[in-house]
Amino acid sequence: MSSTTISPEILSLIDPVVSGLKRHQIVGDKVIALAICHLLMKVISAARWTNPYDLINIIRKVGTILHTAYPRKIITGNIVRRVLAIIRDEIETENSNNDNTPMMSSMFSLLSTNSNTSHKVQHNQSKKQSSDFRSVVIEGIRDLIDEIANVNEGIETMSVDLIHDNEILLTPTPTSETVLQFLIKARAKRKFTVLVTESFPNDINTAHNFVKKLADHKIETILIPDTTVFAVMSRVGKVIIGSSAVFANGGCISNSGVAHVVECAKEHKTPVFALAGLFKLSPLYPFNGDDLIEVGNSGKVLNYDDFKFVENVELVTNPLDNYIPPEHIDIYITNVGGFAPSFIYRIVLDNYKTEDNKLE
Amino acid sequence: MPPKNKKQKEDVQDERFQAIVLTDSFQTRFMPLTSVKPRCLLPLANVPLIEYTLEFLAKAGVNEVHLMCSAHAEQVQQYIESSKWSSHDSPFNVYTIMSLESRSVGDAMRDLDNRGLISGDFLLVSGDVVTNIDFSKVMNFHKFKKQQDKDHIITMVLTPASPLHRTRSHVDPATFILDKKTSRCLFYQGIPPVDGKKASINVDPELFEDVEDEIAIRNDLIDCHVDICTPHVPQIFQENFDYQYLRNDFVKGVVTTDLVKKTIYAYISDDSSEYAARVESWATYDAISQDVLARWCYPLVPDSNLIEGTSYTYESKHIYKEEKVVLAQSCKIGSCTSIGANSSVGEGSIIKKSVIGRNCKIGKNVTISNSYVWDGAIIEDNTEVNHTIVASNAHIGSSVTLNPGTVIGFNVKIGNNRQIAHNSRISEIPIDNNDGDSFGDSFESDEDDDDEDENMPSTPTVPHFEVQDIDLVGEDGVGFLYVSDKDFDDESESEAGDQYSGIIYQMKSLNVSDDSIASISNRNKSRKHSRKHSKSRRLSTTSMVSTDYDGEVYSEEEEDFIQEATATVDRSLENNHDLDTAMLELNTLRMSMNANYHDVREATTESLLKQVLKFITTGTLTPQLATKKIFERWGPMYERQIFEPEDGTDLLNILEEKIVKIDKSYNQVVLCFAIQTLYDVALSEETILGWWNSTKDTVNDNIKEVRTLTEKFITWLETAEEESEEESDEDSD
Repeated sequence: MSSTTISPEILSLIDPVVSGLKRHQIVGDKVIALAICHLLMKVISAARWTNPYDLINIIRKVGTILHTAYPRKIITGNIVRRVLAIIRDEIETENSNNDNTPMMSSMFSLLSTNSNTSHKVQHNQSKKQSSDFRSVVIEGIRDLIDEIANVNEGIETMSVDLIHDNEILLTPTPTSETVLQFLIKARAKRKFTVLVTESFPNDINTAHNFVKKLADHKIETILIPDTTVFAVMSRVGKVIIGSSAVFANGGCISNSGVAHVVECAKEHKTPVFALAGLFKLSPLYPFNGDDLIEVGNSGKVLNYDDFKFVENVELVTNPLDNYIPPEHIDIYITNVGGFAPSFIYRIVLDNYKTEDNKLE
Repeated sequence: MPPKNKKQKEDVQDERFQAIVLTDSFQTRFMPLTSVKPRCLLPLANVPLIEYTLEFLAKAGVNEVHLMCSAHAEQVQQYIESSKWSSHDSPFNVYTIMSLESRSVGDAMRDLDNRGLISGDFLLVSGDVVTNIDFSKVMNFHKFKKQQDKDHIITMVLTPASPLHRTRSHVDPATFILDKKTSRCLFYQGIPPVDGKKASINVDPELFEDVEDEIAIRNDLIDCHVDICTPHVPQIFQENFDYQYLRNDFVKGVVTTDLVKKTIYAYISDDSSEYAARVESWATYDAISQDVLARWCYPLVPDSNLIEGTSYTYESKHIYKEEKVVLAQSCKIGSCTSIGANSSVGEGSIIKKSVIGRNCKIGKNVTISNSYVWDGAIIEDNTEVNHTIVASNAHIGSSVTLNPGTVIGFNVKIGNNRQIAHNSRISEIPIDNNDGDSFGDSFESDEDDDDEDENMPSTPTVPHFEVQDIDLVGEDGVGFLYVSDKDFDDESESEAGDQYSGIIYQMKSLNVSDDSIASISNRNKSRKHSRKHSKSRRLSTTSMVSTDYDGEVYSEEEEDFIQEATATVDRSLENNHDLDTAMLELNTLRMSMNANYHDVREATTESLLKQVLKFITTGTLTPQLATKKIFERWGPMYERQIFEPEDGTDLLNILEEKIVKIDKSYNQVVLCFAIQTLYDVALSEETILGWWNSTKDTVNDNIKEVRTLTEKFITWLETAEEESEEESDEDSD
């Protein structure tokens, strides 16, 4: 499989995105997701292949490069795997059209993917076939782009059902655009109060803007320090969090500080809703917490010009994310509906192929 | 749709945005390592320094980068050519400019001006900057200020830090005086190293005349030498050919003289997550390495894998490891440590706050703390390495102790059971300080700096010596002690600074040489000289930077100034410069050498008379015409040299003194016509008469003879004055 090499023109397509990711110039989950989609679309139109499995190998290679550019962004891998799933689906439909073999293979192919692929390696496409194939896959990616671009709409529609009048909500993730839209949408029919944590130090400015936007939409909004979460929790009806990645076990990655908020919520038996677009679901399992959490600028925690401190403190660390275990989340709200954390693995199976869980 | 690259688009203006990177530091602080490799290619946390700078430029949205190379230019060029920056999808075009003759920043800027590469505002950085500042903010600030103030030529980027901050330069700390409201820089002064001694700055209050609000005097800024310059900057360097340094000469010159009529603004970062520093000494090398490891300049951290082919991953407590690192079960890796690929660490070894390069072999029970071990180094069992730099492919035997401050050069081999003293610097081949040319770069230098070397053992008497040292490196070792004569400067004073530097800055003691190669000018030699004469070195160093005039210490410098000033005026005469240029040159020279007006007058007179004599002796003109011609044309130069009546007297004295010495056959004529012409162009009658009357009684025969003709002129003047007293009163100021 590793024999396929990536041609220079494809490399030159990838490089700007890779450096953009490395330099953190492409920021925001949705922006990254869309950038990767567009990149893969270009790669597929530029790539030459005789066999669809070559294309799969190329995409996997590209995926590996993108992953190493910013290993802690799960999203890049998700999108690559989604595209791979699109390609595999297409191959499957094509094959079933061609050989008309009965569907007996479904169980069988699950268990013997390897023999399956080696068998199919023989199967080369004609030029016309491959160009048809290309356009179908690109069409599939277009749909994916639409899905990502409109992810908030799907989530928003559920807001009215979930939020009651005069309820007090708490959100510890003011960086989430999805949470913002969710609340604004709910305001159309409901009247409620939102408590927003300040999210010091990394997102404090974002938190202020978030509060302002909510207030502009006539939502009663209160900005609270991060430390008061436990004290106010008894009055809170629901905790709403955004997430940057959801794992197959139902755990998720969210902003730093969220872990302690959901811990408080657990203590008070307050329900926790996690909002996540479908593209944030990842087929991976969070085996090692260290690998998932991005550690940011220490200067946000401790002012660098304070020399006495900087010199004498053994370690200053500023984690940007928290891992939230599945037992702290009551329900995931996605653009395809609400699911319990224990059910996430099923949604993941629907959207990804297990063959692609490992890209290398 | 192309992938979004918002930031870049914002910054790119209609025209291309250029950056000039000075890859040479024009300093010798990193000797002996810089004899093999240029500073900008030394690894910081296993990434060549220049990568950090280029990364910053890429992020800043620069589209054209010019690297000014002088020392080890080929190495830099080679590196750039093989790096990702010269590939076709690099965010900017990189050009290396061979500026081999440059010996200072000033030279490089003049070279730049000659090449005519600059098309608009450009970014000037040195090749050793590590920063993550949001450049778009700086650019907006620059544009805003430029709109408000047409004379704006430089925006300096500064970050706040406490005065004794480890990352702040201790070699040339500087004080900025800023207009609080507009953050215009009003004054700049490098101050001698903070070592517990009092350092003072003298400021001319006139500078603050047009300040509306308050001024801020700041000694707490890290100056990372990132500047946005307008195309005027190289031109000003061109005009002021004696400017060597960007800060000490240029910035200081521009803000303190009103000749250039330009302004400089300082952008001070207000975001605590913005980091900017420059690797300009071992102390800052140490500090910045630690900062990179401790993620102060995120996202410039090892695990963002700046250069291709690295695979650092982050583990909690700021530990970074590449693939294929072999760690023994019982070894301990402490916080803030980075280990490169294929390196191995033996049983029982302890590594903390250190950087280990690739392919290093660390033996058993080795202790490495706060040290930097570069690629391919081997450290054998039971060795202790503390606050040390071990360069690539060095080999340290077993049971060796490397004491704080040691620098082990490339390929050096240290035998078993050695104790390397504090601050020793060992290189593979002997390096003679005076013969820097053989290395083709910037490490020969004249020593006139004031570095402290706190931990040095008692002063050896001879500054230059090489030891093929079996004592030092052991019998099977390879290595020579590198000794810079600067090590012995200020020895006696260092004790006071000890407690401060001993604890905090082990590495600080590594700061050694300072000045640039360009200092081989006469004036520095004389400065050095004069310093030896003065009993207290401290006295001379401080007076050097203060504007106080200390005649004794300066006596030799004065002479020197006269020589140089005379040469300057000669040049102006020969090339027939216009008067303003000549005066400007003279004035800048005066300021840069801190001379007084007496010297200026003397030099001017000397030079003018020389010219007169030339005309006379070659027979081109009669004495009368020659004097008239020269003094008419150039006499107005004195206008800017004479402020008080005494100055005029002084000038006339000088003139007379000099004229007495020339050929008797025409010296009377020359004196008479010189005074007469000066009367027309620069001096008032009162001055002349005053001088005449005050010296009339004390003259000797020689002078009397010279004065015979002049006497007539004076008598005429006296009568004229009586006739029109009122006018002369008006003139006399």
